[in-house]
Amino acid sequence: MTYKTRHGLRGMLAAGAMALAATIPLKAQAETTYNLALLSDFSGPYADIMPTLASSREAVFDWWNATSGQKLGVKLNYKNYETRYDAAQVASLWPGIKSELDPIAVVGLGGPDVAALSERLPEDKIPMFMATAAYGYAWQSDAWIFNPRPTYSHESAGFLSWMREQRGGDEPLKVAILASEASPAYVDMAKGLELYAEEHPEELDLVEIIYTEVQPTDLTAQMRRVARAGAEALIVQTNTSIVVAAKRGLQANGADIPIMMSSHNGLPASGGALGGLDQLEGDYEAYGMAVAADEDTPARQFYETLAADYGLEAPWNVVTAMGISQGLYTVAVIGHAIEENGAEGLTGEKVREALFAQPITAEETQGFLPTLTFTPDAPFPLKGLQVNVGTVKDGKITIEATGVDVPDVKKW
Amino acid sequence: MVYFINDIITGALIGLLYALVAMGFVVIYRASKVFNFAQGELVIIGGFIVWFTTMQVGLSLWLSIPLSLVLAGLVGYAIERIFLTKLIGESVFSMVMVTVGLLILLRGLVLLLFGPAVRPFPIIFPLKPLFLGDMLIPMNLLIGGIITVVAAVGLSWFFNRTRSGLRMTAVAEDHVVASSMGISVKGSIAFAWILGSILSTIGAMIFLSGKSLTFLASDIGFAALPVALFAGLESIGGLILAGVIIGVAQSLTTNYLDPMIGGSLGSVVPYIIMLAILLVRPTGLFGWRTIERV
Repeated sequence: MTYKTRHGLRGMLAAGAMALAATIPLKAQAETTYNLALLSDFSGPYADIMPTLASSREAVFDWWNATSGQKLGVKLNYKNYETRYDAAQVASLWPGIKSELDPIAVVGLGGPDVAALSERLPEDKIPMFMATAAYGYAWQSDAWIFNPRPTYSHESAGFLSWMREQRGGDEPLKVAILASEASPAYVDMAKGLELYAEEHPEELDLVEIIYTEVQPTDLTAQMRRVARAGAEALIVQTNTSIVVAAKRGLQANGADIPIMMSSHNGLPASGGALGGLDQLEGDYEAYGMAVAADEDTPARQFYETLAADYGLEAPWNVVTAMGISQGLYTVAVIGHAIEENGAEGLTGEKVREALFAQPITAEETQGFLPTLTFTPDAPFPLKGLQVNVGTVKDGKITIEATGVDVPDVKKW
Repeated sequence: MVYFINDIITGALIGLLYALVAMGFVVIYRASKVFNFAQGELVIIGGFIVWFTTMQVGLSLWLSIPLSLVLAGLVGYAIERIFLTKLIGESVFSMVMVTVGLLILLRGLVLLLFGPAVRPFPIIFPLKPLFLGDMLIPMNLLIGGIITVVAAVGLSWFFNRTRSGLRMTAVAEDHVVASSMGISVKGSIAFAWILGSILSTIGAMIFLSGKSLTFLASDIGFAALPVALFAGLESIGGLILAGVIIGVAQSLTTNYLDPMIGGSLGSVVPYIIMLAILLVRPTGLFGWRTIERV
């Protein structure tokens, strides 16, 4: 190599380095950052599931930043805020969250977030995406708070329709509900199904709604009444402690009535509190989301990706599935908004518009959720609703049914 | 009719469980004039001690139960030594405010030490209920009811008939006067907290046997509050009657009125009874009427 060529090569390298240096700030400028506010409960009633739920949704945001976000030139920052599952705490935190983060979306947790922010978010024009099923009291048009799943009453009605079909015969299915007045959400779960049963006496015979404390003293007498009334299913969508007390009450009476739980108090959580999943043999969990069973499903495969490549340490269970599905439909909507409006100047209002503009497909949510078509009529999709049913067989959680159609439940 | 009687019996037994937890309130109040707002949290601490010695350490119930009661007593003693000793002679209001702080501290401590997970509580009493014909009586509540009555009789005798018990009553009247009469104020208050903690732990065993353990169980402290106020804060024997009245009223409301009105009147009834009796007798059914001569 001559001096001249060496010199020329140096010149080219220098020019290349300069060009590279020049592109770095350009790339940095091209990456637009948006913030998400994550409402969490690490010290309140859902403190037991929060670390799992939080790490699952955070892993999805990390995955999105590394994949779709990088392609779109957008990074989503996120920050958790401790609400203790307390509406007053949420309300007092909100002005600070807004001024600190200026978020394009809020990732919520439960009823207190809805109660505290349902009036504020339309004013602030920031949508909130929940992980849970929806509530009847929040079933309003032009919502700013959205649920990927229908109301708890839709989910229980879907499950009971399936159960009646499995049982066969024309008689209505006899059912009892265990609820609590400790939270408006718990009352809401019972009221919706009560109305559905009233309007469909040929399908459901609601033998009793029992209201109890969140940590009941004893439910033996109540369970005896339910067994005596011939109930074929017991709906408990409240919390784990009530499932445990109900199970003990049923065991004391020698009654074998299957319990249906929801996602937040599902088979793994309630089984753990009872001392083992085998205690819930033949009981069910049902919700409009993938069941976290051992079977190899697309949802399970996506979880494995997050665990292997994005540091997700949470175990594969229903709470993890809830966190992942919440994260996935949130980033899907934000992705749609960016495609529609470009990476620059995204606002909460544009994110909300994108939610109504096109469906979020089951592929986009990796099979965790069915295809979701939101409309301004309700905070959750009103059509194409489905639930999946999981059960315990031989001490293991298995998928009992998928894509069970949810009947039309009227607003209450 | 059989079921109606059964509901009355079950209600009475639940009321006796409330009375046992309320006994913790009364014992501490009788010895120090302090209303302990953290009584429900003492139940939780007791519950976690039982869970830890049984489920974590793996001790048999015969070993873990006495050990848990000793450890609970030590916790009560430690609380008194750390937070309340220095307030002797100060206003009762300061001590009550300390118990409010204690409520928050103990909840945080439980979360910190044991985490938030819902845990299975050991089966201490048989799960199979006692069947009397068509009647069904939960064994944990039945045994708990017997323990409550025995504890109430024993503690009533202790406070009303023994020198130590009367000393504790004198301490509650006035710390300074009691101290000047040679009574150990510190010792009396410490003993009351030890007793209060042990009673709470027994309450936890009856309440949680075979169920789940979370800090939500501390709500039983609030359920026991109407029983303590209804009986009168100085009366241990009165707790039995107050507990039975409130328990039966709650049971009948829950089983017969609630299904008709579709609501949870049963959880409100104890407070309605408490407020009604306090309107008529502000000192409760058996509370002491203080006469001040000026």
